[in-house]
Amino acid sequence: MKISYKHLIQNLESNPSIDEISERLFQLGHEHEICDEIFDMELTPNRGDCQSLNGILRDLNLFYEVKINTQIYDSEIPKFEFNFQNNAVDKCSHISFLKIEIDKHNQEYKDELKTYFDVLKINKNNFFTDISNYISYETGQPTHCYDATKITQNISLDFIETNEIFETVLGHKTQLRGKNLVFIDKNKIINLAGIMGGNETSCSDSTTSVIVECANFNPEFIIGKSVQYNLKSEAAHKFERGVDPFCHDFILRRFLKIVDNHAKIKKVEIFNKLYKKPESILIKYDKSQINNILGTDINDDEMQNYLFKLNLHIENQFIVVPSYRNDIKTQNDIAEEIARAIGYNNIKKSELNMPCLSSSSEKVLEKGIKNFLISRGFFEVINFPFNSENKKNSIRVDNPLDSNREFLRTSLKHSLLNNLIYNEKRQKDCIKLFEISDIYDSSCFEKARRKLGIISCGRIENNYLNFSKKIDQIFLNNTLKEIIIEGDFKIEQISRDNIGSKFKNDIYYAEIDLDEHKFSKSLDEQTNFSPDEFALYEPISEFPVSSRDLSFLIGDPTQFKTLEETILNFKNKLVKEIFIFDFYNNKDKNILKVAFRFIFQSNSKTVTDIEVNEVMDLIIKDSLKIRSIEIPGLKK
Amino acid sequence: MSTSKDIYSPKLNETYGAHHPINHMQDFVLNLLKNLGFEIATGPEIESEEFNFDMLNIKKTHPARQMHDTFYVEEKSRVLRTHTSPVQIRCMLEKKPPLAYISGGKVYRKDDDATHLPMFHQVEGICVDKNINFAHLKDLIFKIVNELFGSSVKLRFRPSYFPFTEPSAEVDIQSEDGNWLEILGCGIVNPIVLKNCNINPDEYSGLAFGLGIERIAMLKYGVNDIREFYKSNLDFLNQFK
Repeated sequence: MKISYKHLIQNLESNPSIDEISERLFQLGHEHEICDEIFDMELTPNRGDCQSLNGILRDLNLFYEVKINTQIYDSEIPKFEFNFQNNAVDKCSHISFLKIEIDKHNQEYKDELKTYFDVLKINKNNFFTDISNYISYETGQPTHCYDATKITQNISLDFIETNEIFETVLGHKTQLRGKNLVFIDKNKIINLAGIMGGNETSCSDSTTSVIVECANFNPEFIIGKSVQYNLKSEAAHKFERGVDPFCHDFILRRFLKIVDNHAKIKKVEIFNKLYKKPESILIKYDKSQINNILGTDINDDEMQNYLFKLNLHIENQFIVVPSYRNDIKTQNDIAEEIARAIGYNNIKKSELNMPCLSSSSEKVLEKGIKNFLISRGFFEVINFPFNSENKKNSIRVDNPLDSNREFLRTSLKHSLLNNLIYNEKRQKDCIKLFEISDIYDSSCFEKARRKLGIISCGRIENNYLNFSKKIDQIFLNNTLKEIIIEGDFKIEQISRDNIGSKFKNDIYYAEIDLDEHKFSKSLDEQTNFSPDEFALYEPISEFPVSSRDLSFLIGDPTQFKTLEETILNFKNKLVKEIFIFDFYNNKDKNILKVAFRFIFQSNSKTVTDIEVNEVMDLIIKDSLKIRSIEIPGLKK
Repeated sequence: MSTSKDIYSPKLNETYGAHHPINHMQDFVLNLLKNLGFEIATGPEIESEEFNFDMLNIKKTHPARQMHDTFYVEEKSRVLRTHTSPVQIRCMLEKKPPLAYISGGKVYRKDDDATHLPMFHQVEGICVDKNINFAHLKDLIFKIVNELFGSSVKLRFRPSYFPFTEPSAEVDIQSEDGNWLEILGCGIVNPIVLKNCNINPDEYSGLAFGLGIERIAMLKYGVNDIREFYKSNLDFLNQFK
């Protein structure tokens, strides 16, 4: 909702700056952004009363003297003999219709109507709809205008099951579904109540006879409908949050006053029906309890002054809650009002002594399992639980995001396989992943099965000891046997058929039910691999990697460490990783052979051979400065 | 051709894996709160509407209960929990005050765009005792935020709305560029919620708070795109050793 700074200060006795008002609004809990002196408000859903200029002004009255424009049409209005039938009284407790006939209206808007369109840069529609929109902006009460020549005097409000196609005032054709609250005329839906009117009965610039509907709909029957039908409706937004049930007379007289300022009124009549009077809310004024809730020591005068400014009057020791404040019902609500008035940031903190407690049930076993697997080079992943597999016990999501996410997974396998393929496509040749997660199935909602899924393929490790060794069934079996001391598990080789990957390494997977296996006690003593600090993340590159290998012959083995340090400490923005993948000590000849692998990747583009070669030349140049170092096969 | 155990053997490059940064952050926060005196509790991710909404004073008409916000399963018989608050309800039903629990874990909302995911992580806490008030809540929140972001960080409390707390607040911290960033929600437990859990609100009061782990992790690690956490990209995960 947008509120103009200009409109706010027009109604304040003082002239606070936009920044000062912004600060006050934050203190009141009214989040917003400011653009071109317009507050774009993001109000909490309980504050239906603030969805208007006047609503915000009522709150600002805590800090400034506010003078809300209350000019209304104050002549007597004859009764409108309108044969309206309310067949949904529990969904609409109060409704009014105002019939107005005019000669013609001024083409140029003036006063508040002019500034509304000028300041907020809103497109005009037609005279009556424009006034309706302005009234909603000023007061928060949506109204709907029917061209009186397009409806009969016999409309009704019904809550009916329908699958009719309804054309909105904006020309959108919407297929209605299920039960809807609708206005009906001659057996045809003319208005989706509280959401959007229909095209056939809408006003135009030539309309001179209008029926203005002003209603109080039960939010329960409005909520969700605009989203369901994909209709952007400010009226629905306001009705969903609740409107003032006692405002109809003021609203329609205010409407009429603006019409009167722009046109000669030929005839005006009003229909007003209150089906159920809402109960007044009275809350005992209890200063001590409010102070107890807040941890403050506010005196009577100060507290009553805040309440007075919020129009919360005290009568016979009871606070009378105004009809527009449907969010205030309890002592805690009153405490919140006081806290907003003094400012949450001005409430002093007070030391909290925590109650004495018993020990926590932590997931010690899981921590041990994780640390063990991390020590073996496995990375922990987290996956979403949704998939498209309709297994025997799969739990179906009634409202999935899409058909590929219609069921909850009954195994971690599919997710982990997807993770593996994702990394293979990014040229990773040593992939070791695990996930620990709850798994649910329809046989038991309450109790999840806690599962460990582990998947691996490619090289065992990217170092000279294990570079040429490939992950196989034995590797995964031995890894798990180090921690599982009781309970069977199966290592599965996942077929590459239908995976759609050009890679050929074998993929091995195991899934362990943590409750059905016994784990080694030594897991408690595993080194904790959680880092103490939170290192700043560097954005990763999505460009392909390029690798180069370089072998050295070292005539004097004592020079090896110099070479190792020179190369492993080599820094260049294109070099992502360097490791020794082969090493051989020929003791008979007293020479060493060592091979390094260099991984190149750019953050901004695909790295070229020329760029890689340039870096390799630098590495070679640095290496050859070391005594007794040779690069077999190097062309001089 | 490689051999082991050699006086000239090269250093083995570190081939450790890593904890997932979100789990690491969640454990960090849980541990921080445990040290402040909270007990850790857990609960199911598939919940009844009663525990996920009704007991928490979230009315049938609340927009969060709509099909476009909450995942329903098995013909609307259950929901994927939209917050970890139901765990607190279970705790309050099981144990009489004084009590102080924290729970962390996965929660679900029907969102999927550049800044929202259908699954994320929360840590929520509750403390119920005699005479707990908003000033105590502020004290606790300052302790948590100072532990997470340092003692010099500037905090701002803003009034907000949660059906299960009253008064409710959102807490922002000020970033280096002067902008305020929302980091958690908190409030005084709504007496209706205490009553729902058979706790006499005239005798006891409580405070509650909740943090989004992804939000905290993004700020602490400097990750700008929440989706990065769930791509399982080894280049990404490798940075959190």
